[in-house]
Amino acid sequence: MPEHVAEQFEDIGKQAHAARLAMWIFVGSEALFFSGLFALYAAYRCEHPWGFGVGVEDNTVAWGSINTLILVVSSYVLTLAVRALRHDKPRASALLIGVTMLLGMAFAFIKVGEWLHHFGDGLYPGGWGHFYEEPGHGDPGTKMFFTLYYCMTGLHEVHIVVGLLVLGFLLYKVLRRQIGSWAPHPLEVGAIYWHFVDMVWLFLWPLFYLMPGAVGR
Amino acid sequence: MSVPGKPAEVSGVTLFVAWCAILVLGAFSLVMRFAHIGSFTFLTGFGVAVIQTTLVALFFMELVHEKPTIRFAFVTCLSLFALLVTLVTVDVITRSIPPLQDPPGTAQRYRG
Amino acid sequence: MTTIDVGILPVPHEEAPRQESYLNIAYTVKSWALTTDHKRIGVMFLFATSFMLALGGAFALLLRIEHLTPGMTIMDAYTYNRMFTMHGIVMVWLFMIPSIPSAFGNFFVPIMIGAKDVAFPRLNLLSFYIYLVGALWVIVALWMGGVDTGWTFYTPYSAHSPSAVVPAVLGIFILGWSTIVTGINLIVTTHTMRAKGVGWFKMPLFVWTTYGVSIIQTLATPVLALSLCVVGLDHWFDWGLFDAARGGDPVLYQHLFWFYSHPAVYIMILPAMGVISEVVCTFSHKNIASYKAIVYSTLGIAFVGFTTWGHHMFVAGMSVFDADIFGITSMLVAIFSAIKVFTWTLTMRKGSIVLRTPLLYFFAFLFLFVFGGMTGVAVATQALDVHWTDTYFVVAHFHFIMVGGTLTAWLAALHYWFPKMTGRMYPERAGYVGATLVFAGFFMTFFPQFLLGNAGMPRRYYYYDPVFQPLHVVSTVGSWILGFAFIWTLGYLIVACFNGPRAGNNPWDSRSYEWYTTSPPPKHNFVEEPHFVLDPYDYTVPAEKMHA
Repeated sequence: MPEHVAEQFEDIGKQAHAARLAMWIFVGSEALFFSGLFALYAAYRCEHPWGFGVGVEDNTVAWGSINTLILVVSSYVLTLAVRALRHDKPRASALLIGVTMLLGMAFAFIKVGEWLHHFGDGLYPGGWGHFYEEPGHGDPGTKMFFTLYYCMTGLHEVHIVVGLLVLGFLLYKVLRRQIGSWAPHPLEVGAIYWHFVDMVWLFLWPLFYLMPGAVGR
Repeated sequence: MSVPGKPAEVSGVTLFVAWCAILVLGAFSLVMRFAHIGSFTFLTGFGVAVIQTTLVALFFMELVHEKPTIRFAFVTCLSLFALLVTLVTVDVITRSIPPLQDPPGTAQRYRG
Repeated sequence: MTTIDVGILPVPHEEAPRQESYLNIAYTVKSWALTTDHKRIGVMFLFATSFMLALGGAFALLLRIEHLTPGMTIMDAYTYNRMFTMHGIVMVWLFMIPSIPSAFGNFFVPIMIGAKDVAFPRLNLLSFYIYLVGALWVIVALWMGGVDTGWTFYTPYSAHSPSAVVPAVLGIFILGWSTIVTGINLIVTTHTMRAKGVGWFKMPLFVWTTYGVSIIQTLATPVLALSLCVVGLDHWFDWGLFDAARGGDPVLYQHLFWFYSHPAVYIMILPAMGVISEVVCTFSHKNIASYKAIVYSTLGIAFVGFTTWGHHMFVAGMSVFDADIFGITSMLVAIFSAIKVFTWTLTMRKGSIVLRTPLLYFFAFLFLFVFGGMTGVAVATQALDVHWTDTYFVVAHFHFIMVGGTLTAWLAALHYWFPKMTGRMYPERAGYVGATLVFAGFFMTFFPQFLLGNAGMPRRYYYYDPVFQPLHVVSTVGSWILGFAFIWTLGYLIVACFNGPRAGNNPWDSRSYEWYTTSPPPKHNFVEEPHFVLDPYDYTVPAEKMHA
């Protein structure tokens, strides 16, 4: 059943443009939501270069990189889903949205797994835990690194979960034929959000896994 | 085929090429992590992230085909992001620069 | 030649016949609670924010009573700290920020651009309920004893304060989302819903300032949300993000907080400036002296305002180099306000001035805003700010802008748009009395505070040196006059809602677009889709030529 144009818009084209403009502004505001944490990372890294380097060394590059691969693939798959819907292939689109969601869930689980692994090492946010009492780990910068790590990956994880809910809702709408090639903009708009979440991770990955700085082997 | 009122869409080939570029850049960044380049990992890691996210924004999010209003909105947000990060970092970096010295004789003139 | 009509009697108008409007189309609670009509949502915001003004005002009166004597008067020190904190939180986030944009902006922007509603009406209703939930959490914090950190929640104290920090920051965090949603809605509305003939440089100026405000609030509020999240995490879980022993730096919190809170003050003043532009043109019966000057200065304030936040931190421990940058940008941003003041003043020249209550509020605004603005430039000067920071001088400065500027313009908006929103006129003589009392009470309350601050009276101090007492007493008596003035104004406005004479479509003989429709407007704003031929400030033609 086609979604009729909402009464305050003249036609579907205007409604689609309004929806995309709104989502872009929202994504911009979300970028600013993260900006404070990035600012803290930058400033604290300048104040504690060694401590931060130790922290980066301790993170498991493999899991972080697998997660990056997962998200980049999921973004590509979602672009294919949007194309499929535009070209009147709702079943293919639904399948591709489903794959995106599975990849997103894999990311979420791996992330939680990493946190649990850190907890197992006695590495908690706020400088709590026996990890920091071990030799070489006591620098205040290392404590701040991991606190920021939990904050930023935690906030990102929240956005992943929200993104999964949005994609799930859109998947339902595609399956019910409530959105389709006559008005694909709800999926386009949801995809913009998912790509944004991917973009944030593309910065978190080097910050927390790839930049050991002067400490690096 | 595009919906009336919708801007032209990015072609399938472009999307695939962009995706491959993102993957290759990511691999490069990962390799650099182990390449004994010390503090230059900042340049490679951050630089690659900037290029990757630009590709995602332009092609996956179709910014190349969006109206100037939307492009301006996004650029504005990024500028404010950069403003915050820059001035906060500048604060921290420049704190050790001492303020100008008082002219000689100030202490005598403003005693108490 | 400038002519002035100091009419004490109300402007004569014909008795408007009773017609269907957004108010009487349905009377049930459900029709209000589930409305998607931007006018009803605006009215609900108006009531909610007015209640918060009364709450914050009550706290202010109690604070002033406490300061009648140097020692304890009616409350202990801990209560005093919580009182000024809650006064700040309630006034800034529950009243000032939403007061004009969410109430009058919601009501009038779609009408002024000839649209039927905002771009996303259901999202609009959601923003109201988000506001209520946020407000509820702040009330919960109040019920739990309030917060004592100051409205700025500075670390490290906010991480360790025994007061109800977490519910308060949660409430403000939620309120932030209301302003972000409203901001996105109004930006998209302005871009996509303008009627035929309403070009960007042909809209009423109130739409421009609401647009500027929406940009600021959408982009700045997320940074506040983050900084309050962090305070909450620090307080609840002791994560020590600003604890030096764990690598933290308390000054960085201030950077994050003020990155939002400085643009926040422009969120508070820009809509007021929009109202003033409307009032000046209407009551001078003249085109704005320079439309583009107002537009570009609005955008200038919106963007340059983001670059100035460090002037709140001159003595916090920030680097001198950074402080220098902020000092320069702070001087730049003042230029735009000055451009507006000159434009409004020039607008009145050779106008046909009608002295009504909204214009009286404009005169109060002009004097108080200029006074407050100049003291703002003064405290933006680093060397001077070392003396004045954290004293009553700064308190007086921001109250001159926020009360003398924004609140005065809010009162002007209330009176100017009263006939359009209610379909009735308020009593003009009562309005004159109210405006005079507001100005007198305000000045008596806050002018002595400049003198107090300059003489060394610190802000947020419970005890003070007895030498400051006489000025404190003057200030407190002024607060009683100001409080009475608000009660007086509220009183006659409520009575006028029910008993005021019916107003016609355009009792002020304005040319702005909201006056083309009936008072009050119908549900879809206009009977037929409007096509505005005249400019919104074209007073060269008589009112009879106004038709959509």
